[in-house]
Amino acid sequence: MKVSVSQQQLAHGLGIVSRAVSSHSTLPVLANILVATDEGRLRLSATNLELGISCWIGAQIEEEGAVTVPARIFNDLIGTMPSDMVNLALDERTQTLNVVCGTSNTDIKGIDAQEFPPMPVPNLENGIELNVADFKEMIQQVAFAASADDARPVLQGVSMTVEGSEITLAATDGFRISTRRAKLSNPVDKPMSAIIPARALNELARVAADGKQTFNMVVPDGRGQVLFHLKDVELVSQLIDGNFPDYRAIMPQSFKTTTIVSTASFLKACKQAEIIAREGNNVVRLSISAGQEGPGAVEISAQSEETGSSEVVVNATVTGTDLIVAFNVRYLRELLDVVKGASVALETNANNTPGMLRPVGNDDFKHVIMPMHLG
Amino acid sequence: MTARKILHLDLDAFFCAVEELRDVSLRGKPFAVGGSPQGRGVVASCSYAARQYGVHSAMPMAQALRACPELVVVRGHHSGYSAVSRQVRAVFEDLTPLVEPISIDEAFLDVSDLPEPAEEIARILQRRIQDELDLPSSLGVASNKLVAKIANNIGKARHKGPTPPRAILVVPPGQEAAFLAPLPLKELWGVGPKTEEKLKRMGFRAIGDIARANEKMMTTQFGKHGRDLWRRAQGRDDRPVEYTHEVKSISQETTFSKDVADGDRLRQTLARLTENVAYRLRQQGLCAGTVRIKLRWSDFSTPTRQLTLPRPTDADGVIIQAACTLFDALWEEGRPVRLLGVGTSNLTPCSHQLSLWETPDEKERRLLAAMDELRQRYGEKVVRRGRSLDVGRNRDDTNTSK
Repeated sequence: MKVSVSQQQLAHGLGIVSRAVSSHSTLPVLANILVATDEGRLRLSATNLELGISCWIGAQIEEEGAVTVPARIFNDLIGTMPSDMVNLALDERTQTLNVVCGTSNTDIKGIDAQEFPPMPVPNLENGIELNVADFKEMIQQVAFAASADDARPVLQGVSMTVEGSEITLAATDGFRISTRRAKLSNPVDKPMSAIIPARALNELARVAADGKQTFNMVVPDGRGQVLFHLKDVELVSQLIDGNFPDYRAIMPQSFKTTTIVSTASFLKACKQAEIIAREGNNVVRLSISAGQEGPGAVEISAQSEETGSSEVVVNATVTGTDLIVAFNVRYLRELLDVVKGASVALETNANNTPGMLRPVGNDDFKHVIMPMHLG
Repeated sequence: MTARKILHLDLDAFFCAVEELRDVSLRGKPFAVGGSPQGRGVVASCSYAARQYGVHSAMPMAQALRACPELVVVRGHHSGYSAVSRQVRAVFEDLTPLVEPISIDEAFLDVSDLPEPAEEIARILQRRIQDELDLPSSLGVASNKLVAKIANNIGKARHKGPTPPRAILVVPPGQEAAFLAPLPLKELWGVGPKTEEKLKRMGFRAIGDIARANEKMMTTQFGKHGRDLWRRAQGRDDRPVEYTHEVKSISQETTFSKDVADGDRLRQTLARLTENVAYRLRQQGLCAGTVRIKLRWSDFSTPTRQLTLPRPTDADGVIIQAACTLFDALWEEGRPVRLLGVGTSNLTPCSHQLSLWETPDEKERRLLAAMDELRQRYGEKVVRRGRSLDVGRNRDDTNTSK
């Protein structure tokens, strides 16, 4: 292999794929990045066997070839190089990659590319076409509600269901549920559902460039994998096997109190309350009152034995009965960070039943949070 | 409503007891703390040996010396008394935050939320104050402050002799009126010399006479005060123990009657102590952020270790795990332990995240709530976790204190 690539492109490509590198694997090749010539471009790939990311960058190819090199060393090395052309040359016999840029000349010992797990090649004909910007927003609104708890792998995933021309993502950690649906530009023939690791979707949102482009998602039959095919990037993830909780059945349908507040003021109030609340149990008390005359209000209060206490009042349009309910302020803040829309509706029944939040005038995004119990 | 458990504790001849600590040669001798006999000094406190000669507090010192010529007169060390009083208070607060100090040597304690019977708690408290501070004390135990206080007076009065009474008198719930009935009128709060005289003129001889009197008649004769007397005479008093500060820690410890070197046995004890501590946390709606353990080796050195929990909790399981982690780091395999204690601090009002569906955490919480209810209904020992059961052993070989 003998190629030259721009340092900037190479660094960018390495930044995309290195998130899939496995740092603690017993398989040494998984700590490496595959560097291979591929139909006139240079392909970089990394995988931890659950998540694989490939990226293609433009290159001048003098001689075809492939090798894997330790990700950290290669990444660090390229990162320190000037923005100039980088010449890569592989000594097949010793599997050593010679990296030359400007006046620097480095040899990196690699591992044979044959040992690198093969990345699946997607059949794009069965793919679902998705809009990059829309899907990124969906991921940002849903994936954060997935669990970080290894004990229940299913909850570390995002449930994806596709039916007709509608796609729905949902995630829950047992304390909150986030669901978001969207229209597909091309309807699918048969319904499909899968549980995709939240981590894979977060990586997808990270590597997908903004803009109006579209990309393809493929879930090949019986492979337990999902593939996302973007312009210069491919991401493949193992699906999570198991039954996703029936979140639709848990989501409340009717409410006693509806509170409409400005998203920005609610978010600001939560951020202020969190400064005090995070020192304790993260608990904030929302005192929702309709008010005798004029608009109602939500008083957001936090108290911490060590730090002090805080109260913020936000004007609100409240219909229904007054309520005092406690929430984990982090859950509120994380939701308000991604809700989009000028105002948000908080719908509640009691201080021990789930509350629902959604942007006013938009039924596609629904978020459910279970309250906290105050002893 | 279940009866409250109220203790009235008073330190026996407190100033004298402190003086004896200062100067052991006074022990057993008739002596009095107070002003100079040359001036108008009076007896502030006198030893039980002095009381044998008829010396009593508030008596002019000169008169006391006439009654007991060998009486040793000691000038008081008042700042010393306050310091010792604070140490006593700390022992109370180790047991319960619900402490109402009445004076330097007297206090009410509400121990209703402790699982042990009130009498046992009274004994533990008396022993701890004796063992740790070398001070004798007497307690009255009842379902309210009025009867506890009177019980203590009566218990101490029953004691005769040159030694401190170290009395404990228990009036079981339901027995309040019967206990008070035969007592002289002046034992009742609110009965001063004037009221007593009037009552006697009306033919009343004992508290029971007031209790049996007509409420209206009492009100007509004595106004609102009469109604209060009438209620008190029945042993009724629902005033709470007025504690004034926040709870800072909840802990429990136990001294083994024989040092224990068996790790399993120690861990089991740790689990049992922790269960009681967690129970008290839940009773007060508090969660602990910090768990502490305390060991006492045979040589009386007493190391402690503590750790901060990721999240404040009131769950037995989490605290037991933390306590065992600390224990394993502190205990030297095979080394005999004299005392073992578990404490929690950094207490916050409890709050926990509710789940959309039942989680193991929630199951544990329901289990604990059910166990707590059983404890409240049938007593502390009715239900325990399997691991803290002391199978085949006599549990009474440890002295538990809180």
